[in-house]
Amino acid sequence: MKRLIRLEWTKISSYGFFRVILILTLSLFLLVIFVFSRIDISIPGFTWRNLFRFPDVWSSFSWVASWFNLLLGILVITIAGNEFTGKTLRQQVMTGLSREEWLAGKGLLILGLALFGVLMVTLAGFTFGFIFTNDLNLGIIFEKMPILIVYLMQAIGYMMLGLLFISVLRSNALAIILYLLYFIMIEPIIRGLCPVEIRPWFPVKIISHLTPLPEFFKITSGEALDNNYLSFESIGLVPRQLEGSITIIMALVYISVFSLITYLVVKKRDL
Amino acid sequence: MILETKQLSKKYGPIKAVDDLSLSVEKGTAFALLGPNGSGKTTTLGMVMSALKPDRGSFKWFGEEPHPETYKRIGSLIEIPNFFNYLSLKRNLEVIARIRGTEASDIQRVLDETGLLKRSSSRFDTLSLGMKQRLALAAALLGHPEVLVLDEPANGLDPEGIAEVRNLIIEQKNQGKTIIMASHILDEVEKVCNHVAILKKGRKLASGKVNELLVTDDIIVIDSNNNESLKKGLVEKGLVKSAELKDNTLEIIPASGVSSGHINSFANEKGIVINQLYIRKSTLEEQFLELVK
Repeated sequence: MKRLIRLEWTKISSYGFFRVILILTLSLFLLVIFVFSRIDISIPGFTWRNLFRFPDVWSSFSWVASWFNLLLGILVITIAGNEFTGKTLRQQVMTGLSREEWLAGKGLLILGLALFGVLMVTLAGFTFGFIFTNDLNLGIIFEKMPILIVYLMQAIGYMMLGLLFISVLRSNALAIILYLLYFIMIEPIIRGLCPVEIRPWFPVKIISHLTPLPEFFKITSGEALDNNYLSFESIGLVPRQLEGSITIIMALVYISVFSLITYLVVKKRDL
Repeated sequence: MILETKQLSKKYGPIKAVDDLSLSVEKGTAFALLGPNGSGKTTTLGMVMSALKPDRGSFKWFGEEPHPETYKRIGSLIEIPNFFNYLSLKRNLEVIARIRGTEASDIQRVLDETGLLKRSSSRFDTLSLGMKQRLALAAALLGHPEVLVLDEPANGLDPEGIAEVRNLIIEQKNQGKTIIMASHILDEVEKVCNHVAILKKGRKLASGKVNELLVTDDIIVIDSNNNESLKKGLVEKGLVKSAELKDNTLEIIPASGVSSGHINSFANEKGIVINQLYIRKSTLEEQFLELVK
């Protein structure tokens, strides 16, 4: 594994687009949360800054970070795509790297990028949480932190789907366009044409719902309305969602399916 | 046996790129796959290097079914040099070295051997085709592989570069390495290789030792007052293997045991006056073209 990590790092560390996307992701994420943190609306029953306080800062920031998962997906498409189109994958296989090892390397790359996202959210979460939270205690700091694991899984899901697209299409431009269209248009249209009961089970729906839109009214209204808040779902702002645990299981199933198809495609096809 | 293929076949749509190809390459030989463009040389090498999946047939390296570790014993250059455009030469070789488990110090050696040491920090995409080809050779030589698989290794090189690369390959051959080389340049094959398989449209036409297969015949060049009649007579009498009119001369390859004296006597009998008659060796190119005709 160490060998594969070193190999991947040798390949990507000097890649300009890799650095640009990481810096862009970090900058945009920090910009968004910084701008939002400047908003200070506090009226009875509505405190905007609760979104930046422990423990809700974890779900708020994971949700904001999830906006940039598509950028990480595009990065994976580009990195893997360069190896298909430039035939460097072919050269590596002829040098003694198995196709499985190449895929494992890409898996490690995806894990590394997802961990980068988690680190970004963690550092920002601690920073803003400590600044904005008044009554600090250990319990409140770590209470909702496990959502970071779910965010990790979501980022992996986005990138695995990107790897699948590029493995099948083998053209960076085509894969990026179809990847974005799939998220923005294709799946939403297909979902719209399907019966309501089936709609929540689509892959993008499942994976994007891993870090759902924070229960804005619940968080901003504070403890007083804790058991009687208006959820987005109840007022029809978002469609019906699956339960959290089912969403996580289904996301794992989809990630496994993406990985399996990618493996079969890379294994069977000429390089 | 270093490499053995059995009935290797590969199709691209309706086109048979490689058709039922069986080859054997023994240890220490310099083996050439010779054939015109589109004869299946690159596809064959792609299959034995596991980059392409054969439709049918099998192959063995070192007497075993191939596995990734096998390829760490083989240095290869197939088609065009494939490297990361944005990486320096040194970094690109580091990628190869990490896969092969080679010491980083070996990178300096191969850069030096291929004359690229001064350009080691340059990005791959800033190199000329010749330099890229040299880098591909450097990558193939990394880690002292037992076998070199080279597809048109002189591609894109200037005459000086061709000579250097040829010497480099001959040096590797002299060190006891097995060379498997695809080429359509006869001169290259003749100078480097001792065994050859001639391919056409994916099929093996012939194989054997270079000096036996591409043996040079004597060609008798005749200038007479009636070349056409002389040609006809020689063919009818069975005195020639082949006869061809070229400009104002008649070029013949005499049948076995037939000398220029016999031809002269035959012309005299027919009343044909020979103005000039000389013997030249047929070129390898002529032999090759005859085989793939």
